[in-house]
Amino acid sequence: MLTATLAFVIFSAGAVAGGLGVALGLGGGIFLVPFLTLALGFPLKSAAAISLATVIATSSAVTAQRTGSQLVNLRFGMLLEVATTAGSLLGGITAQFVAESTLQRLFGIVAIAVAAVMLGRINRRNVILDATIDPGRLGGRFYEEESGGVVTYRVKRLPLALTASFIAGNVSSLLGIGGGIIKVPVLNAWCGMPLRAAAATSALMIGVTATGGAIIYYGRGDLQPLLAAPAVLGVQAGSLVGGRLAYGASVKWLKLLMAALLVIVAVLMFLRSTP
Amino acid sequence: MNRDGGVARNDAAADGQPRSARLERTIGEVLRFGTIASSTMFAIGLLMTVMKYQTAVAGLLLNAGLIILLATPPARVIVSVIEYVRERDWAFVTLTFIVLLALGGSVIAAYF
Repeated sequence: MLTATLAFVIFSAGAVAGGLGVALGLGGGIFLVPFLTLALGFPLKSAAAISLATVIATSSAVTAQRTGSQLVNLRFGMLLEVATTAGSLLGGITAQFVAESTLQRLFGIVAIAVAAVMLGRINRRNVILDATIDPGRLGGRFYEEESGGVVTYRVKRLPLALTASFIAGNVSSLLGIGGGIIKVPVLNAWCGMPLRAAAATSALMIGVTATGGAIIYYGRGDLQPLLAAPAVLGVQAGSLVGGRLAYGASVKWLKLLMAALLVIVAVLMFLRSTP
Repeated sequence: MNRDGGVARNDAAADGQPRSARLERTIGEVLRFGTIASSTMFAIGLLMTVMKYQTAVAGLLLNAGLIILLATPPARVIVSVIEYVRERDWAFVTLTFIVLLALGGSVIAAYF
């Protein structure tokens, strides 16, 4: 059942997820699920299960790499995790009231709008260069080579950040994603977080978001270790290579990449919503 | 939240280390261990499966790797709860404990 070709394809998909995770805080589930179902013909359940395993691997590998750099905002992340968790617990209820195709179309429209906002703010930074400014209870500071020193940021619009996290958790099990594609743009565009900090904090959170769903898939026999293994090994390779690339890339370039990914996701969602 | 006289969160704890830095380092160690352990088991398990050598052992290794992978984020939440208890930061003890309970709920939903 697991041919060498299939193992290699899954390994590569994992590598893409790992690279995106380290650069933008995404687990890659948003691409993996359509890829596994449309290109490889996997049933949705098994695709979502592999995807969630990949998201967990990305979260652990990337965060292990990132700790010590002060980029991960632990307090803010753990606060948002509560909203994400509440969202994912209520995910089943959402699924009963909203058809999957409606959800996908809504998702597509939102992704386009967020991409437009990201592009409109491409030259605006959330960092404060004055290191003596108080970051507040939830803000943070970190060393950024691009600015040449320690930068500070403050968190704005907490209710919006909580709402975005709630929605990310809510659609997580439905779509087989960790939710970074929702959280990172919102945290960066509206909540005052610099892109690298938003990405690192999202990478921390997506692991917990995906674990709930993954445990259920595993317990019911839908998550096969033989398929998860190559994906996880791919994540390792992708996050190591992606980490080097992302470190050298400018924030402007990362924002362009994020906006491009959002547009691709929107197109994928519209394609999937039409039967 | 720590309200010890309006001191910012990065101020030194009793042992002279920034509080957030100590938790960050512990979390990094937990995640690094989980990542390396699960990847090693996956790599060996996959290799044995491909070479058709001791497939029963290979299956065990693959399952163990997957269980470690799934247990790593909850382990990270558990060390966070412990660290916030040590800091007597009850607001964050509550927040992280809620997340832990929800993860426990998933285990119950999966097996019962």
